[in-house]
Amino acid sequence: MAIADLIKKTCKSLGENNKPTYVVMAIAAVKGICRPAFTMMDKTENPETKKYTALREGLTEVIAIPAYWACGEAAGRIAKKAFNSDAALANRAEKNLMFIGVCAAALFVIPALCSVAIKPIMDKMGLKPKEHDKTIPQVETPAALTPAQLTPQATALNTYPKMSTFTARPQIGLRVGGL
Amino acid sequence: MIGAVKNFLTSSQLASIAQNTTQSVAVETTLKSIGRPGFILIDNDIDSDTKQYAAAKEFLYQATCLAVYMALIVPVFKKGGFKLAKKYIFKDTEGFQHFKDVKEYMHYRKLTDNPSVNNRLKTLEKERLTDKTKIKDKYNETLQAELAKEKPEKFAYVKGAVELSNIIGSVLGLAILAPQVSHAFIHPALRFLGLEQKDKKAQLTSKLNTKA
Repeated sequence: MAIADLIKKTCKSLGENNKPTYVVMAIAAVKGICRPAFTMMDKTENPETKKYTALREGLTEVIAIPAYWACGEAAGRIAKKAFNSDAALANRAEKNLMFIGVCAAALFVIPALCSVAIKPIMDKMGLKPKEHDKTIPQVETPAALTPAQLTPQATALNTYPKMSTFTARPQIGLRVGGL
Repeated sequence: MIGAVKNFLTSSQLASIAQNTTQSVAVETTLKSIGRPGFILIDNDIDSDTKQYAAAKEFLYQATCLAVYMALIVPVFKKGGFKLAKKYIFKDTEGFQHFKDVKEYMHYRKLTDNPSVNNRLKTLEKERLTDKTKIKDKYNETLQAELAKEKPEKFAYVKGAVELSNIIGSVLGLAILAPQVSHAFIHPALRFLGLEQKDKKAQLTSKLNTKA
């Protein structure tokens, strides 16, 4: 019964004034938990990449929640002050400006805050960004393995030590002997 | 200029979008799909290939979210929430029995938002294009009497139930369902755009195995 009453109260409140900040903050809060959780459950990625991506996703939403609230509320207060002569107009302007504030947060404020704040935080934590799939082949090129392909005949006949065997000795300073 | 800005800020159309969960989320997701990739592209700390890749990935993610939201969440939760509230939660509450579905309530609500009683009554007398009946025919006597009042009853419970259902749908859709769908869709899309190569690691392993 108590749940039904709570739902009724919530519905009444939402029906009278459904602030645009409510839904975006709710989405950001659940996203902040679920997106990193889904990333960590991905078995195809390596653990370091998963940790980096999950933390980055979590931080984005942590920044988004207060940003949505602050932009919405600030815009609403500006509207109240600007249209204080007419109560009906002020009420409508408050809702509209709150919505514009939320839109501004989604379009500029959050991406700007994220690009300023996330990198230093990740650097402090000692986490480096992952390289996307395009760069993986550049690290492990098949060409790097070709010198190891020796013909079996050559290796069997050449029983004498090669000059290259001695290249480990120091190449600087005074050398004694013919090698 | 100031007048135009003032009209925009106090526009009833904008207020209706701002108070409607589905419309405001759709607008916000569209803006995210522009803003986030835009900021990635202007970041000077990343090399151009990575920037292109990350921006395309972010854009595709937001676009998938919007598509999932509009295709699944809006119709299911909007209609489902109203029916659920009417049948179970608000079965003894005044308001729900006057309306057959959400569409009918939203139309009534739009009429109540019009401050002029004369305009409201004129609208009620208009004919519908679909079946040539008058608009007032779909409203019962109680609703017609309310619309003739200076301050008609808006049945906030009904609106609130629809919005609560939409908020739950938006959260489930955008935070849980859309990431799953986008996970399946984004990588093939990026490969199609030539921004990601098909499982290079697996290809390299198979090459090395062949040589060995």
